[in-house]
Amino acid sequence: MIKLKWFGGVAGWLLPAALIAAWAVAVQNSWLSSQILPAPIDIVRSAINLAASGELTANIAASAVRAGWGLLIGGGIGFLLGLLNGLSKTAERLLDTTVQMIRNVPHLALIPLVIIWFGIGEAGKVFLVTLGVFFPVYANTYHGIKTSDPQLIEMGRVYGLNRWQLFSQIIFPGALPSILVGLRYALGLMWLTLIVAETIATSSGIGYMAMNAREFMKTDVVVLAILIYALLGKLADAGVHFLEWRVLQWHPGFKRR
Amino acid sequence: MATQAISKNSSNLALKLEQVGKKFGDLAVLEDLNLDIEPGTFVAIVGRSGCGKSTLLRLISGLDQPDTGAVYYDGQVHRRLNGGARVMFQEARLLPWKKVLDNVCLGLCKQRKDRALAALQHVGLEAKADEWPSVLSGGQRQRVALARALVHEPRLLLLDEPLGALDALTRIEMQRLIEKIWLETGFTALLVTHDIAEAVALADRVILLDGGKIDLDVAIDLPRPRHRDHPRAIELEEAILQRVLNKPE
Repeated sequence: MIKLKWFGGVAGWLLPAALIAAWAVAVQNSWLSSQILPAPIDIVRSAINLAASGELTANIAASAVRAGWGLLIGGGIGFLLGLLNGLSKTAERLLDTTVQMIRNVPHLALIPLVIIWFGIGEAGKVFLVTLGVFFPVYANTYHGIKTSDPQLIEMGRVYGLNRWQLFSQIIFPGALPSILVGLRYALGLMWLTLIVAETIATSSGIGYMAMNAREFMKTDVVVLAILIYALLGKLADAGVHFLEWRVLQWHPGFKRR
Repeated sequence: MATQAISKNSSNLALKLEQVGKKFGDLAVLEDLNLDIEPGTFVAIVGRSGCGKSTLLRLISGLDQPDTGAVYYDGQVHRRLNGGARVMFQEARLLPWKKVLDNVCLGLCKQRKDRALAALQHVGLEAKADEWPSVLSGGQRQRVALARALVHEPRLLLLDEPLGALDALTRIEMQRLIEKIWLETGFTALLVTHDIAEAVALADRVILLDGGKIDLDVAIDLPRPRHRDHPRAIELEEAILQRVLNKPE
């Protein structure tokens, strides 16, 4: 059992480790030109160099700030609007059609317009991320509220709960699993949007770092940027996992192992 | 064994229905129903499925409103959900995201954990106070639901087939528990059930509903605690059953 547990913790990393090893061997034996894919060790070296010069942290910080603001604004609006439309029939009738219509426009198609509106500053990038994360959070919050169990609500009424208690003790906890699914999708879209937005015209951020390196054919930095996106994505996912583990302990599907 | 938390309630609820009618679309589920229930009695309502017994319970609880007539609590017309009445549903309807004790606390102020714990003790589940409802068995869930109802010291307890989904042994256990607690606290109880044996075992009075009307109203004058094989109990059960079966649809 103990052996199995240990294996479970490492199992997810076996495949990536094997791929990196194969890649190192392939570059070493010149099966792959280092122009196309530099050796893993070169990437580590350039990571160390960039980190030493402070460039790496500055770029990661710039990206993280954009991602954070976009998530906060877009997720916040999506969450509140999802609650509003889920709870109020009037609001739903007024707003849902509009939201669904906007949803069908791919937000990255707005990039030209965003450049005209916001120029190439921070606002445009945050705006794109905001749009990207808004819909998954909105749709899943709305769905979670809408599918709350009418039997439990009826029980709550019989047991004398007021409207706020009905919401905070029955409707919201019931919607939480769905809201967290929305957050997870949102985090994926957040990075995706940021990658595209940062390649437009920027002077900081991981996307900028990659575009800049491409001009000088520094493939190792380009690959490093991609790897950082992968790690940040994984980190965000782990964050939601932790959140689910914390708040959904009651749920048989998220039981503490 | 008995705890202080659930005390004998002196002011049980007197219930009266006057010419109550309820329609769903064109279908009249209840028509001109008159019923008088003395405070502190245990009344069972039986009948075929679709006879309107659950609808009747919902009208009495205030979850639904009658189309005609009125429901009186202690002589007062009663239109909204009433703090004095509690309902036990066919499903336990526990909140899966609250621990057992917090489920029992529902609708109580935070300082009343001791009372909730006492109510759990009363149904023999104090050891499960810190568990999630998902790990309980069906019978245990219904016992928690019973504790949740009792903690409010209801003057009227409405039971909507709460034992319908339990296995035979658990059912009998639950019936004994409900009877014991009712004897100790003496609230007015109204049990809707399709099980005539259960009605005869528990109630002072069995009412048979048919086609939205009261078809039979029998007093069960058996001493408590009751034995299911008492000849009079079997006789009564048989009589009610025959009445149900011999009615043309």
